[in-house]
Amino acid sequence: MSPATPGWLLRPETGLCPCGCLGKRRKGSYVEKTIEGGADLLRRVMFTDDVAARDGLLQRVDPRVKVLGLVALIVATACFRHLSALMAMYALASALALASGLSVAFFLRRVWLFVPVFTGIVVLPTTCSFLTPGTIVVPLGTWFGSPVGLTNQGLTSAGLVVFRVATSISLVVLLTITTPWPRLLDALRSLHVPRMFVLVVGMAYRYIFLLLASVTEMYTARKARTVVDSRDVAGGRGFVSASAGALFGKAHATSEEVHQAMVARGYRGNARTLHRMRLGPFDLLFALMAVVVIASLFGADRLVRV
Amino acid sequence: MFAVDAVSYAYLDRFTALDRVSFQVAAGEKVALLGANGCGKSTVLKILDGLVFPDSGTLRAFGQPVTEDHLEDEQFSAAFRGRVGFVFQNSDAQVFSPTVREEIAFGPLQMGLDRDAVEDRIGDIAALTELRDLLDRAPYQLSGGQKKRVALASVLVMNPEVLLFDEPTAALDPRNQQWLLELIVELNRWGKSIVMATHDLDVLELLADRCVVFSEDHRVAAEGAPGEILGDRALLRSVNLVHEHFHAHGSTVHSHEHGHSGAHTHGHEPARTPGEDRPTSP
Repeated sequence: MSPATPGWLLRPETGLCPCGCLGKRRKGSYVEKTIEGGADLLRRVMFTDDVAARDGLLQRVDPRVKVLGLVALIVATACFRHLSALMAMYALASALALASGLSVAFFLRRVWLFVPVFTGIVVLPTTCSFLTPGTIVVPLGTWFGSPVGLTNQGLTSAGLVVFRVATSISLVVLLTITTPWPRLLDALRSLHVPRMFVLVVGMAYRYIFLLLASVTEMYTARKARTVVDSRDVAGGRGFVSASAGALFGKAHATSEEVHQAMVARGYRGNARTLHRMRLGPFDLLFALMAVVVIASLFGADRLVRV
Repeated sequence: MFAVDAVSYAYLDRFTALDRVSFQVAAGEKVALLGANGCGKSTVLKILDGLVFPDSGTLRAFGQPVTEDHLEDEQFSAAFRGRVGFVFQNSDAQVFSPTVREEIAFGPLQMGLDRDAVEDRIGDIAALTELRDLLDRAPYQLSGGQKKRVALASVLVMNPEVLLFDEPTAALDPRNQQWLLELIVELNRWGKSIVMATHDLDVLELLADRCVVFSEDHRVAAEGAPGEILGDRALLRSVNLVHEHFHAHGSTVHSHEHGHSGAHTHGHEPARTPGEDRPTSP
């Protein structure tokens, strides 16, 4: 033993209870779940890369045509005034998902898991006769002698909002899941979205994973040294803020190094890229179909009076 | 090729990284910058690549002074960047594009090569660095060794005359290490000058014609051939590149200096000094 070796380092610490008894079980904390969610995001992105590589209908369309076509469909969706037109557009989005080799369950889950939570809560009060007067279809009782309930007009306008959001999200999901990320960025570049914006978005996407891995590692390192889970809320907050600070420092150092790596290879503020895309007959057909669908649904939406 | 003269540099004007450092690199030479962690090797490489600029002293490359002002000149900057390639220690910082293909294309495109020529070069360099199957992968789908290959490919594709390596073999598995070392030797045979920051003494005789040793006070402590430097135990001890080490040969545990390629292949003599050689079995 070296004279500098502390005595306690040579004695074993108390480990598992020798009688084999079990302690209290605790579920993961909010921080743990959030970080696991981040890791899960990485897995999902890898899964979406697989989907984008499949031989489906939307995967065959040139990304520029796809961006323009689907954005036009989203704009049209925002303009529809009737639930039937929105439902028809949603049905079309689902048909496109099927034709592109997406699993129906995945597609529905991706959209309907969040729409009711975020949009539904927002529009729920508008269904009530207090906010949207009209014909009560679901009576809820009386308030100072007046009947109170969900009105036909309120439910219709709530349905319009929910379906509009669901359809728009479905179309965005279709675009992002059937197009590899680099090709989507290429498409934005060729559609004259500012080059610097596309470069920054591309790098942000690239480095999210690096920083995500750092956060996961920091948390895992903490967890590996956590002997007793004592639900230390203040300690948890401290860890989150310290991690955020460390991550900020890391992100800053990385950004400086990335800039140096770019300058070292000749970057002078105007990045040139490799993209080269050509339109084929299939792309033109897709664009034509998008125009026909928008015109038909838009016409039908305007013609229907009720 | 490079002439570094009395260069000093301090981070934030407080933390000295280099103190009056001078050395030269000739065309076709393999130079190893040796020193313990934090002695300023990486800063020297950044100065050689015109990424940071000395607080005092001068750098000349290819006969021209390299200053912030000179690098603002488009023509000089393009010529300099095309002739000097830098492989960073942290491949994650260097591999910033969405795919391997775009990463490799980045440099030549910035240098103004047309897209067909860039595509041809990508094919050739991907074959050389065994990346052909990974060209359409995203960086987060690559292992550490693969990222290092991409970083190297993205520099080699510009066909630089000088290659600067910052700890090239750090965090690589033995197979990738060996592959990279062989490639560096091969690149030098093809006429590329190599300047490499390292503290790995095991690879020195293979990878360097000359060594520049940095002391922990950020100065050049010595220059010389690898054999000469590795033979100077007092120098290596003073710059903290070797240390007392004990390890086992069969049943004998003994201690000696550790730090160069012969450390684990030496012969044995019976224990001489109590406490220095300790038999572990009776």
